Amino acid sequence: MDYSELDKVRRSTTPLQLDTVEAFARGRLSRREFIKRGAIVGLSMSSVAAVIAACGGNPASGAPASAGAGTSGAPASAGESAGASAAGKTGGTIRVAIQKPVKIDPVAMQDLGGYGIVSQSFEFLCTLTPKNLVDIGPGLATKWTPNADGTVWTFDLRQGVKWQDGTPFTSADVVATMERLVKAGNSGLKGVLGPGGAVATDPNTVTFTLLGANGNFPYLVSVFNAQTVITPAAYVAGTTLDKQPAGTGAWKLTNYNPQTGATFARNDDWWGGKTPLDGLEFTFFDASGPMVTAYQGDSVDAIIQFDVLSGKTLLDDPNFNLIAQPSSLHRQIWMKTDQGQFAKKEVRQALAYTFDRPALIQQLFQGKSDLGNDHVIAPIYPYFDPSVPQRVQDIEKAKSLLSTAGVSNLTATLHAGQLQEIPDLAVLLKSQAAQAGITLNVAVESLDTFYGAQWCPVDGCAGAAELGIVDYGHRGTPDVYLNAALKSKGIWNSSQYSSAAFDQAFTDFQTAVGVDAQKAACNKIETILNEDVPIGLPYFYNYLAGSSKKFNGMYASGLGQAFFSSTSQV
Amino acid sequence: MARFIGRRLLLSLVTLWLLATIVFIIANVLPNDVGRTILGPFAPQESVDALNEKLGTNRPILVRYVDQIRGVFTFDYGDSFVNGRPVLPQLADAIGRSAKLAGLALIITIPVAIMAGLYAARRRDRPVDRAIVLLGVTSSSIPEFVTGTILVVVVGVQLKLLPVLATPPRNADILTQFRFLLLPALSMAIVYFGYIARMTRAGTIEVLQADYTRTAAMKGLTTAQTMRRHVLRNALIPTVAVIAVQIGYLFGGIIAVEKIFNYNGMGQTMLSAAQRKDIPMLTAGVIIIGVVYMVATLIADLTIAWMNPRIRLDAER
Repeated sequence: MDYSELDKVRRSTTPLQLDTVEAFARGRLSRREFIKRGAIVGLSMSSVAAVIAACGGNPASGAPASAGAGTSGAPASAGESAGASAAGKTGGTIRVAIQKPVKIDPVAMQDLGGYGIVSQSFEFLCTLTPKNLVDIGPGLATKWTPNADGTVWTFDLRQGVKWQDGTPFTSADVVATMERLVKAGNSGLKGVLGPGGAVATDPNTVTFTLLGANGNFPYLVSVFNAQTVITPAAYVAGTTLDKQPAGTGAWKLTNYNPQTGATFARNDDWWGGKTPLDGLEFTFFDASGPMVTAYQGDSVDAIIQFDVLSGKTLLDDPNFNLIAQPSSLHRQIWMKTDQGQFAKKEVRQALAYTFDRPALIQQLFQGKSDLGNDHVIAPIYPYFDPSVPQRVQDIEKAKSLLSTAGVSNLTATLHAGQLQEIPDLAVLLKSQAAQAGITLNVAVESLDTFYGAQWCPVDGCAGAAELGIVDYGHRGTPDVYLNAALKSKGIWNSSQYSSAAFDQAFTDFQTAVGVDAQKAACNKIETILNEDVPIGLPYFYNYLAGSSKKFNGMYASGLGQAFFSSTSQV
Repeated sequence: MARFIGRRLLLSLVTLWLLATIVFIIANVLPNDVGRTILGPFAPQESVDALNEKLGTNRPILVRYVDQIRGVFTFDYGDSFVNGRPVLPQLADAIGRSAKLAGLALIITIPVAIMAGLYAARRRDRPVDRAIVLLGVTSSSIPEFVTGTILVVVVGVQLKLLPVLATPPRNADILTQFRFLLLPALSMAIVYFGYIARMTRAGTIEVLQADYTRTAAMKGLTTAQTMRRHVLRNALIPTVAVIAVQIGYLFGGIIAVEKIFNYNGMGQTMLSAAQRKDIPMLTAGVIIIGVVYMVATLIADLTIAWMNPRIRLDAER
């Protein structure tokens, strides 16, 4: 360990950043976790590299390009690496299949199609970078620094950025955007940032004073909170992209038809330089299957999200650049904890012990998933604690638990919505549970019926069925899963789980700002959920997208956005 | 004839009112929560309530009904519940696309099917007649989604001869549009060929056996003259009626074909509106399809009256 180099970094960091550095130096964070965590707390790329080198690692192999802020001016962002990273030809258009957007109002949009379209023209303070698709990096902000306790975050904005109508981008735009989002009750910022919380310190700096400590704040103003795209100060809430197509991004909207598609042309004044492609041509689809057919028929070049069932052929297609993005996408098998056959913990554990998770992943996703361990802390999160023992199928143990609970001939109805692989999952779970003598009757219903009558009926989740499978989308942090689905009286708590210990662990997590505190809170959460099993959670599946090998450089988030600034024809 | 048309138009207004009422009943009497359907299962109840308030879907049912009927007759269908855009321009786009697809399908089907029907009728019970009848029965018994899928896989994916999507690029010329629409139009034409060919054949056989046809032949008219002056006019009356109904059906959108070829015509638009409880879109769509049906049948009636003077005289009485 080179202490003199390490001390140099130590002296230039805030307490929260120092906490991250110390955690890595003392071996409590892996290099990958350090890079992830460094990005969140705003450690500069050069600092991350220096710390890794000081601790005896090879900074080059640590891929720090996306971590944190570019204080050294190194090209860490999506834009800066756009033109340079494209090895192919310049010119041409890529034809992209995307889910049909419902709304392209940046503040009010709620669907993946809308996210995908809006993010072509509008940009985030923190975004993904081409070299690292899990962690956030600089976008319209080049650097972010927390105060000692994580209650105040200062963002330095990128200079020389212009809106597509030629006016300069300033901190006033960021403040106005945040005010609009706070007023609209943005789900990520709710309870974190209040009215007047964002203040323009100078034209290139914004200071966020939070309602409480939050160690993940940069995630909440990043690509992972899709509505936080920065819009001009004069933007009126409710305006859609096509009515005012003037972002800061690499692409200018040239045509939008809500039913059929959209086209974009290169923004020649983009701060990231000239994109290799001339334009983008999006075609809207209602389902994943026709997207795959369109690709196979050479009618599109790229697909923004498809499911394994309809896109099996693409997984092994040698001419397809598959993006299998690890994510927090998952299914929860809820079990009613307050009454009925699953009220006893042992019964819930028994059912969870019947899951053959590797087999489920192989059969349903051809391996494109991470193992779940009956808790919602996905392996992609930097505070995921892998030390909690992985539950594996153990039929004898399941039988023994049922016996301990005094339950024999357990028979239950497993409710499932007609969505993607869920009906198949239900059938597989039924056959696995049968090995322990549990009889599950699978009831597959339309999504309207399922959500309205089985999962969380209108009058509250207390009326939910005793057993069912519900889908959850990708989130940059697990707060929504923890708060809504598992916390006592949570609005989506279909298992009616109520645990003081869990509630306290969740509160600890929300207020934790340091690495150790967050990991400790997550360890508690994982342990409690794994033990209590209010939900079974067999896997976190990959977000699937990709393009023809005639193009390279496309990359995607797990939330409907795909980025083409560095895409070129081969 | 003017009286006939006037009476039909008056009846059309009553039909429109009935249509609007039926749509309203279906959309409002069945249990649903528009706000919940639009915002999805994960939206907080406050947001759902606020949206219902904004959309006016929590007003008394009678108030909503009067509003809707007024909108139908003043062509004010309002904004879509889902995307907040005015409904009519969106439906105008969709009906335009459906018109192109239906038009091409009919252009392919009608001449071929009528010719085949006539040819078969004139060679009744010969091998060629049996072949045409068999082909007609077979093609009309295969659903559009099957023929569409086969065409996509074989012609689009394997042979890569034609695009597998029906929507052409923006500002595409007429030839490009034709290329994009050919596969879906073919999958529809294959089904309707059978109906129209069989109808034409049956009508022609009946007329060929009629006394006046024999008289025409006996007075020395050539076969071509007999066919043109006496047979076709009478034989095609049921065919015209069938085509009129098919026009309305095709404009209404063949949802399966539109789905397979990712074509946003009336079918997909209406299906999406129904799934998302987009009542203004659904109402306007049903009314527009109703109008297309009415116009098509009116044109068919006028055509039939023109073809057969007896019907014309009946209509005038």
